[in-house]
Amino acid sequence: MEAQEFIVTAFTENQAGVLNRITAVYLRRKINIESLKVSESSIKGISMFVISAITTEDTIKIIVKQIRKIIEVLDVAYHTPEQLITQEIALYKVSSEIFKDSGMAEKVIRNTNARIIEMNNDYVVIEKTGAREEVEQLRKELKEENFLIQFTRSGSVVLHRESIEDLLQNIAL
Amino acid sequence: MSEIKNITGAEALLYSLIEEDATTIFGYPGGQVIPIYDKLYGFRDRIRHILTRHEQGAVHAAQGFARVTGKVGVCMATSGPGATNLITGIADAMLDSTPLVCITGQVPAGQLGNDAFQEADIISMTMPITKWNFQVTSADEIPWAVARAFYIARSGRPGPVLIDITKNAQVDKLDYCYKKCNTLRSYEPIPLPDKSAIEQAVELINGSKRPLLLVGQGIKLSGAEKEVVEFAAKANIPVASTLMGISAIADDFPLYIGRLGMHGNLAPNIMTQNADLIIAVGMRFSDRVTGDLSKYAKQAKVIHIDIDRSEINKVVKVDVGIVADAKDALNSMLQDINEANRKEWFEFAKVQLEEETKNVITPSIHPSDGPIRMGEVINILTDATDRNAVIVTDVGQQQIFSARYSKFRNTRSFITSGGLGTMGFGLPAAMGAKIGVPDKEIVAVLGDGGFQMTMQELGTIMQNKIGVKIIILNNSFLGMVRQWQQLFFERRYSFTELENPDFVRIASAYGIPASRVIERDGLNDAIGTMLKTEGPYLLEVAVANEENVFPMVPAGASLSDLIFKE
Repeated sequence: MEAQEFIVTAFTENQAGVLNRITAVYLRRKINIESLKVSESSIKGISMFVISAITTEDTIKIIVKQIRKIIEVLDVAYHTPEQLITQEIALYKVSSEIFKDSGMAEKVIRNTNARIIEMNNDYVVIEKTGAREEVEQLRKELKEENFLIQFTRSGSVVLHRESIEDLLQNIAL
Repeated sequence: MSEIKNITGAEALLYSLIEEDATTIFGYPGGQVIPIYDKLYGFRDRIRHILTRHEQGAVHAAQGFARVTGKVGVCMATSGPGATNLITGIADAMLDSTPLVCITGQVPAGQLGNDAFQEADIISMTMPITKWNFQVTSADEIPWAVARAFYIARSGRPGPVLIDITKNAQVDKLDYCYKKCNTLRSYEPIPLPDKSAIEQAVELINGSKRPLLLVGQGIKLSGAEKEVVEFAAKANIPVASTLMGISAIADDFPLYIGRLGMHGNLAPNIMTQNADLIIAVGMRFSDRVTGDLSKYAKQAKVIHIDIDRSEINKVVKVDVGIVADAKDALNSMLQDINEANRKEWFEFAKVQLEEETKNVITPSIHPSDGPIRMGEVINILTDATDRNAVIVTDVGQQQIFSARYSKFRNTRSFITSGGLGTMGFGLPAAMGAKIGVPDKEIVAVLGDGGFQMTMQELGTIMQNKIGVKIIILNNSFLGMVRQWQQLFFERRYSFTELENPDFVRIASAYGIPASRVIERDGLNDAIGTMLKTEGPYLLEVAVANEENVFPMVPAGASLSDLIFKE
């Protein structure tokens, strides 16, 4: 069975230690977490975890069941990236030289739906939201043209395609 | 619900323990639990505290207590080294599903993270080896945390829980109000059996010609001893147990065919390979049970019943998984399973038993000459106690000989470190077991190696007059490792030979009556004397130095490739 990216979404009680317990399930099998996002879900007191890692489906099935065993975990499931609506935010600090090359600035802003959020004599900060591939594509282009000074991106922010509000409401009862 | 105004966190802890009927504590005081011990002084009429000689002794004693009684075992230690000394026992309890509540002291909340004296981050350290843990940093959290701890430890698949209580939480005041915990919205301890899975299982059982029922400790934890016997009897299915399942079914049950696994009986292992259906209940397909997975039970469909969803399809891919309490699942199937004539299948079991008896069992338990053998000691002990004793083992050859040759009438009578294989477990666990069931005969069967890992607990036995019988099977070797070295490492006995002290004199120094037996002629009498003596007794038996346990499925080999001799 081939390794591929699986995104695990988990809803948990908002309590100290849960993060450690969840990551330990991956660590035990020496699976590296590629990205991790924790924040409050649409219901107060319930946290949502989004964890991306590369492994096999057999393994992720066991991981999900072992995460479910953690006392504070309310619900957990695994998905392939295509099964979720996934977006990331990336920030690119680029040399202000980019404006001397009008073609490049035009390309970045127009074609990629990015926007400038800060700008001075030395550098320009560009923000872009998109799927990871798009974010990475822009990074690659800026780097190749030697404009990129610094880069950061968020983990995945995801939405389930099906409605999970009912599930959450049931949990919260 | 009881309420008391304005008491300290330490008092609240003790009242909470009483609410949970946890009135036996194994522990060891230290700087960051002094406030609890101070209040304990005034609770001596309500709570029995056993002072061990090491925190590892306390946690293993709590395990022994829990395993024999079915109650939650409680142990207590100070912060830092006290807490870290519990870790081996907690890991052991996690793998063997033993309900424990471990209470540790912690530096005051204001000093957390600053490397205060005897500070250890025990919450992080025990995270992967506890079912749940929680750090209490204010007094008013104590009743809530204790109620949760006991509920989580004992419900569903039991396990160890740790509560770490900072010193300020022990001394600060609160208005105490105890409310037992019996539900958590994120926790489903006892899933109900799925109806369609039950139907599929019944269909497989009724259609099978060579079914085999494998039972583990889940039977004891669920209290399904009666149900599993009814189930097997109604469908006429042979039953085997895992190491942890030993004593769940009486050895004289006619359909019982013995122990599974690496050193188990021939019939269960060979029949696993020939069965057309495996019904596994409350067990987890340990590698010590399956051997080479790619060659395990290839002819069989598999039904797996376990209360822990994550066990289903973890190791062995199953045809029907039933996530439920063993008793519920067996009861749901009982009505619809049919009796079948399995004469040939039982005949096959009989042939295996005859072969094993001739080649292994008889020479092991009735040797004609040479030094005393471990198997014959266990066999005599079984007869002398009329199968009514609780046998607590250490880890190694004496464990396996005990597993193979001890026989039982009652459940929860075989206590051993199964998953973790913790040497040093035996003596303190036996101590805890005796305190749990003082009217039963408790016999610790230890090796000379394992005994010396926790022998300081003789002091606990002395001080508390714990009437546990101790047998040391002394071969002056770390026998199991030596056996592997002999069989698989060309007899290079690398650091497995032990020069031992005089165990009889050590026992005597603790005021524990003791004797040593070297000759076979004296063995019966020596065991008789041990059992007749009031209170604790230590019997050292000098056994053959280089005896091996057989049959054996070599590590990584298939169950079909077990070996009988060197």
